[in-house]
Amino acid sequence: MLTVLYRLLVLPFYVRNAGTFLVVVLLAFGFMRPMDHEALITAALGSPFLLSVIIGLWTLYTYRTLSFVRSQLAAPEHLFLDTLRLVPTPTRGLFWLILFGELLLPVIGYAVWMLARAVHYGAWGAFLIIIIALITLVTLAAVGADYRLRHHPPNAFRLPRTSVKLRYELFFPTYWLRHKPLSLLLTKLISGGLLMGVCRLYPTDDYDERLLLIGMMLALITHSRVAQELHDFEHRYLIFLPNLPLSMTQRLTRYALTYGLLWLPELLLLWRNVPATVSVGYVSLLWLTGWGWLLLLHVLAYGRDVSPERWQTGVFSGFIIGLLAIMFGLPVSAWLLVGWGGAAGLGYFWSSGLKGTEDSQR
Amino acid sequence: MPVSLFTFHSLTLTVSNFVKSYHTDAGPPVLTVPSLAFAPGFHYFRGGNGSGKTTFLRCVAGLLPFSGTIVLDNAYEINRDPVAYRMRVNYAEAEPLYPDFLTPRDLASFVGRAKLSPVGQTDELIDVLGMRDFWTKPTGQFSSGMLKKTSLLLALLGTPRLVLLDEPLTTLDVETAQRLFIHVRQLREQHDVSFWLTSHQDVSLTGLPLTGIWQVGHGGIVPVT
Repeated sequence: MLTVLYRLLVLPFYVRNAGTFLVVVLLAFGFMRPMDHEALITAALGSPFLLSVIIGLWTLYTYRTLSFVRSQLAAPEHLFLDTLRLVPTPTRGLFWLILFGELLLPVIGYAVWMLARAVHYGAWGAFLIIIIALITLVTLAAVGADYRLRHHPPNAFRLPRTSVKLRYELFFPTYWLRHKPLSLLLTKLISGGLLMGVCRLYPTDDYDERLLLIGMMLALITHSRVAQELHDFEHRYLIFLPNLPLSMTQRLTRYALTYGLLWLPELLLLWRNVPATVSVGYVSLLWLTGWGWLLLLHVLAYGRDVSPERWQTGVFSGFIIGLLAIMFGLPVSAWLLVGWGGAAGLGYFWSSGLKGTEDSQR
Repeated sequence: MPVSLFTFHSLTLTVSNFVKSYHTDAGPPVLTVPSLAFAPGFHYFRGGNGSGKTTFLRCVAGLLPFSGTIVLDNAYEINRDPVAYRMRVNYAEAEPLYPDFLTPRDLASFVGRAKLSPVGQTDELIDVLGMRDFWTKPTGQFSSGMLKKTSLLLALLGTPRLVLLDEPLTTLDVETAQRLFIHVRQLREQHDVSFWLTSHQDVSLTGLPLTGIWQVGHGGIVPVT
């Protein structure tokens, strides 16, 4: 039973959040050296405020894991998990503790690092607080998941429904907002935060516009799983889509509008935070470029049988190559052309290539 | 030469060298159809669970990839003319599932626009299927019967030449089923629309004059004489 729970509740969490983990790892271990972490940990052990900030971040992560587990429990295909209620409470509690122990591994890993340093410096107060925080987080998450298992969601939080007729372009954004609000919020917060960060960083030194391009690339990486999410949504709920008499242009246009809506907050952020020495036209072009690259990521990922690990490796490799291209001065206009041109070209190539593949099998 | 139950002057759909395999590189194909021709009319596909009925219908609807050719009315090949073909072939799934926040109105608006549904058609179908009471309610509140009605309505939008109804009798109430099959018969007689059905129920309940009965199983499709 624990194996089934692991495969339904733990493994999919790591698979679906691989993109976020990649960004966090890039930020935490790309820009910060191990000695910086050591310094941060040492400071946190001696500062209740810093320690509470770190524990706050752990709480946010725990909440995300709990939200995921609760949404998995509510999914129609997982209704059979209701039988878990028949398992004696102590055993069920143990299951939840083990599962959340696995889900919180990144937190536990970092906490162990901090505990080792606390022992080294003899910071026993901080040591105790970290232990208590870990036990509390795992226990509260277990209780939260078990509560969801025993109480079905008529009284669960629901976004109010409007009577406005929804257009297709809004189907996926609405689904994302209603069913995975935390995922949407975190994606937008991280993406927006990165763009805002580079805009604020820009005037502090002798940077040029390449910094903004790097920021846009990082913002795009936070969206690298969106195409797969969109595919999963449509494959599950809109099975009739391939039967609709829509040409490749019509399909791509609809997806482009959907991504344009999802990417719109970044435009507002860029306009609001545009550095004084950079023109509004440039950041608008930057945003258009990001939009095209989102569509290119969509064409590359949508409906393709690519494992999440392979996809993340590809995204990471693309990021390194892109970084080099930016360093060597590839202008934003070239990025714009590659993004939009690549999306349109690959879209048409694969739609005609599919026919070719099928013909060749005859 | 394609195998046909009867001889007709015009063929609705021909299938040639059809092979459907879920694992393209390994394992035997799940369904192989060397050559078949389907005349206009009502065709009933029968077979046990997992025999491949739904898979075949989904391939014909253009929902699943396969190797081979499927040609409608001797003119529209499913891969060569993807838009024209899909304009003429509609599909209602056996166990429909839609995003819980969307209403039948949202779905019909989208599908109807793509299928170029004539003015007034949706209203007529709402009455045929008895959907007026829940037309603007989100499908998350629907019973399986209400979901089935939604999928049937979507499958009847536009001006199809062929409508594929996968298990249309399942979860549908008797009154609605009667109205539906009266409407289906009218479409056949007045607009030359063909219908393919699968069902585990007694298909005679539909009251439709069957043109052909086909047995699906053992990786193939054969006419029942």
